[in-house]
Amino acid sequence: MSLFRKSPKSPQEVSKALKDALTALERSDKKAEKKDFMEPNTSKQGRRHRVGVTHNAQEDTSKSLTQIKTMLYGTTDSEPQDIVLAQLAHEFYNTNMLLLLILNLHRIDFEGKKDVAQIFNNILRRQIGIRSPTVEYICTKPEILFTLMKGYEHQDIALHCGTMLRECARYEALTRIILNSDDFYNFFKYVEVSTFDIASDAFSTFKELLTKHKILCAEFLEQNYDRVFSQYEHLLNSDNYVTRRQSLKLLGELLLDRHNFSVMKRYISNPDNLKLMMIMLKEKSRNIQFEAFHVFKVFVANPDKPRPILEILLRNQDKLVEFLTRFHTDRSEDEQFNDEKAYLIKQIKELKPLPPDQ
Amino acid sequence: MQRKITPGLMPPGSPGTYRKKSCTTMEIQQQQEQQQQIEELEENKQQQQRRRRRQQQQQVDESKMAADDNKPPWPNTKDDYDLREVIGIGATAVVHSALCVPRHEKCAIKRINLEKWNTSMDELLKEIQAMSLCHHENVVTYYTSFVVKEELWLVLKLLGGGSLLDIIKHRMKASDCKHGVFDEAVIATILREVLKGLEYFHNNGQIHRDIKAGNILLGEDGVVQIADFGVSAWLSTGGDLSRQKSRHTFVGTPCWMAPEVMEQVSGYDFKADIWSFGITAIEMVTGTAPYHKYPPMKVLMLTLQNDPPSLETGAEEKDQYKSYGKGIKKMITDCLQKDPTKRPTASELLKHPFFRKAKDKKYLQSVLLQGGPSIEERVAKDEPLVRRRSRSRQPGTSGRLHRTQSGDWVWSSDEEDDKHPEADKISISSCESTDKPTQPQPQPPQPTNTESSSQQPPKIQQQPQQPPPQQQQQPPPSQPPQPVLIQPSSTPYSPSPQVLQPQQQQQQPQPQLPQGAYPMATYPQLVQQPVMMPLQQQQQLQQQQLQQQQQLQQQQQQLQHGYPLQAVGIVPQQVGNLVPVAGLPPEMMMTIPPTTTTTNTTTTLPQQQQQPPQPHYTPTPPVAPMVGVGVGVGGETFITTQPLHLDSSEPINLVLRVRNQKRELNDIRFEFLVGRDTSEGVASELVAAGLVDGRDLVVIAANLDKITQHPDLGQNLTFRLNSEMEGTDTPDDKALVGFAQLTIAD
Repeated sequence: MSLFRKSPKSPQEVSKALKDALTALERSDKKAEKKDFMEPNTSKQGRRHRVGVTHNAQEDTSKSLTQIKTMLYGTTDSEPQDIVLAQLAHEFYNTNMLLLLILNLHRIDFEGKKDVAQIFNNILRRQIGIRSPTVEYICTKPEILFTLMKGYEHQDIALHCGTMLRECARYEALTRIILNSDDFYNFFKYVEVSTFDIASDAFSTFKELLTKHKILCAEFLEQNYDRVFSQYEHLLNSDNYVTRRQSLKLLGELLLDRHNFSVMKRYISNPDNLKLMMIMLKEKSRNIQFEAFHVFKVFVANPDKPRPILEILLRNQDKLVEFLTRFHTDRSEDEQFNDEKAYLIKQIKELKPLPPDQ
Repeated sequence: MQRKITPGLMPPGSPGTYRKKSCTTMEIQQQQEQQQQIEELEENKQQQQRRRRRQQQQQVDESKMAADDNKPPWPNTKDDYDLREVIGIGATAVVHSALCVPRHEKCAIKRINLEKWNTSMDELLKEIQAMSLCHHENVVTYYTSFVVKEELWLVLKLLGGGSLLDIIKHRMKASDCKHGVFDEAVIATILREVLKGLEYFHNNGQIHRDIKAGNILLGEDGVVQIADFGVSAWLSTGGDLSRQKSRHTFVGTPCWMAPEVMEQVSGYDFKADIWSFGITAIEMVTGTAPYHKYPPMKVLMLTLQNDPPSLETGAEEKDQYKSYGKGIKKMITDCLQKDPTKRPTASELLKHPFFRKAKDKKYLQSVLLQGGPSIEERVAKDEPLVRRRSRSRQPGTSGRLHRTQSGDWVWSSDEEDDKHPEADKISISSCESTDKPTQPQPQPPQPTNTESSSQQPPKIQQQPQQPPPQQQQQPPPSQPPQPVLIQPSSTPYSPSPQVLQPQQQQQQPQPQLPQGAYPMATYPQLVQQPVMMPLQQQQQLQQQQLQQQQQLQQQQQQLQHGYPLQAVGIVPQQVGNLVPVAGLPPEMMMTIPPTTTTTNTTTTLPQQQQQPPQPHYTPTPPVAPMVGVGVGVGGETFITTQPLHLDSSEPINLVLRVRNQKRELNDIRFEFLVGRDTSEGVASELVAAGLVDGRDLVVIAANLDKITQHPDLGQNLTFRLNSEMEGTDTPDDKALVGFAQLTIAD
């Protein structure tokens, strides 16, 4: 049947064809689901029929996606045309196509999923002067962002959703929506899933969201300090070596970012955080030790250390001096590190005993 | 109409034509699970297990290799795999053949030691993502990956035939291959499969960057797969703005590397793989890459200077390979054109007449693999060495060649034993971070890499130190350029020889600026004074004007102060080597009148304790020249007239010269009162005021401490910063890129 159908040419036609195909895909899928539920012992023929229907829809989806991709990216012989792009984008906004694509992403075949991510990112980057119309559009449809985040719960679409999310994170308005949603806190789970590629993809998105737009991020961390850092602590205590190492490293970056000064001040006033860093300084992994050093140093360099912090440092004064003296002595090439280390040792050595509590 | 495309029978051609035949029943099950999963989102632990199960199920479903539904998914737990013999070993990874117990299926497990992975794990993630986003019969099949203690385990398809290189070597040992290792039919069959994989790769927007026989693996069934994504990169396929259109990184293995990759001038694209493919074709005839006998640097030279290699390039006798027809020779010539745009694409190459000679998998199986050694044999043979790197190779094993800042080529390799020892042996650096000069790690707490730290200057600058430019003292811009060094003659002047380390043989005059030059209206104040000059411009002008300025300085010093340079031990001809403060031409600092500066801000520090405003300093002669002991030009030690005293009554005026986020040099002036101020306090204020990067807090504190507590070290400290300049600038202590300088300004 589809063999004889004339392939659509205009953006409207392609967009419509894609929508129809996606709807068909969804319908046959849902029907099958229901049928399987109602009559689990469907005949082989029935199944085969359904498989056929799905495949037609699958075919049509792939075809439309390929056509759209060509419109957006051009081919080796032809550059993409601005008018076509504008029409296509409009069609996408009007039909809610972006959301439709993401909601059905798991139903689209393997190569088609990659096409969707490319199409999404291209349309997102669209600019008219200084305006980004797609960004404005997504601001009115935040469910697109939430659906993308949920994508991390599904292995087959996680990486594609990650690609799209990171593209979204380039825009402050979209990052703001994500950070202010409850769904953002799911990242603390996503970065710990057992499949490495998904966990690390989630982590790079997480990091992008927390570091890309400095002022927004600082504001977010200040306002949500307790919620974020209580969950962050779980990452630092994770059983997963990669989670531990990556989150410790990001912590250092967050605290030492000048925009996060007040967050840093708050973090280094808490004796529990100091204890955690001292434990991590003694981890078996040298990489973790080293990252921990870069957080630990901030506690010591704090000009107005609160009493509980001073107490811990004083209680461990000798041990810390001894430990630091022997800490990563082979890094003789690393001048900053050695400067910093020498400075820490000196600071700790010179700590004066506290006057008795009043 | 149903398109039935099985992975092995994919039509060559347009992008996006490869559609995996999906299994609908599986998807239905998955959706049900998915639905449940969403409902049970709250049950955290249970849900995670479920997710994992589902993920794995999908993985299996997605993977065409796991067509049989009856098998459980590839598990993410170590105990489900029974590790067998080691089949490969590298600097950071070991490859085992293994049995996946729940599936009763063999696989290869690449165990990567992450502790040895010193750089960020982003590279690794890219490799794995590249693999997991590829589904093609001719591209290595990835099943899953998970973390086991400090190791990352990659579960891959086990290809029992070994690498093409193994088979070549085996053949060359077993029989006389003087007139060629494989016949044309075998070569065409294998290379056509490789091309199909490459075509898929390129249509995906990826470049492999390391195509060679060692990275082509054969399955026991005769399947051919491209392996080792260690250096593969993503490329843009079109108007995608987020990816570069071409790459500038220099990776690969020299013998197989395209000239444009070596040149590193214009970047490169997919066509670099076509060159490597052509070299691989030669390798399959002659057994080696054309210039395998030469060291990497020589290979570079030969590749760039000579005509492209051919079958005859490495031949010992004329007509050694005469049995090979025009077809293959033409195909090789097509691939090995120095102009990448003239090389055919993978899709075009597939239509080359030579590949009409290609046969099927079965043919390879019968011709190649029956005679070849089995895994067990090969492993048994080499067991004592445990040096097999046959099938699944480690990321980066091919090493990287890159140009250092000085323009020298450096070859870095972490491969332990290579098949072409002569060509690959130069292993100058195994330091991870030197491998990727174009990808600076933005993470500040990273250890300094050896390359850059070795370039660090001694802490005590040998350059003459100049007081920072003075707003008040600057002549109007209309005046001819004048080094800042020069004082208006009315200003009292007190020579202040610089303190140098004993081994230093130079002595510089240190003209003192009056303290009045640093008005500090209220104490808690930092005056941020930009030295306005875009970095690049500075560097360009710097060279040209350096000499001129220095002469000028000299003359003016003599003229205005009647102060012969020799008196403080300057040998005039040495001056030519001296660089003014931070390498900035004084004119540059002065050409822009301070009033026009945009970043000329006065920041009042928030945290500073309230103090009564201190009076302006009046221009009086300096009270205590900050001078200790120096060494004259002849090596004689002299002691200055006034001993150094830094008592708590006298604040030290300090200038921190550092680039701001816009990369403009700024002078941040502040007082430091020993006894009242602490290094960490001041550093913390600097960060709080947004004047320096938080990542540099401790290193600035450390150096503040040094300069204030040990003034005998000198009045001038240049030190490396933790915060790297964003971008690709290489750190430079002279231009203060990635460095900052603390100066005592009294």
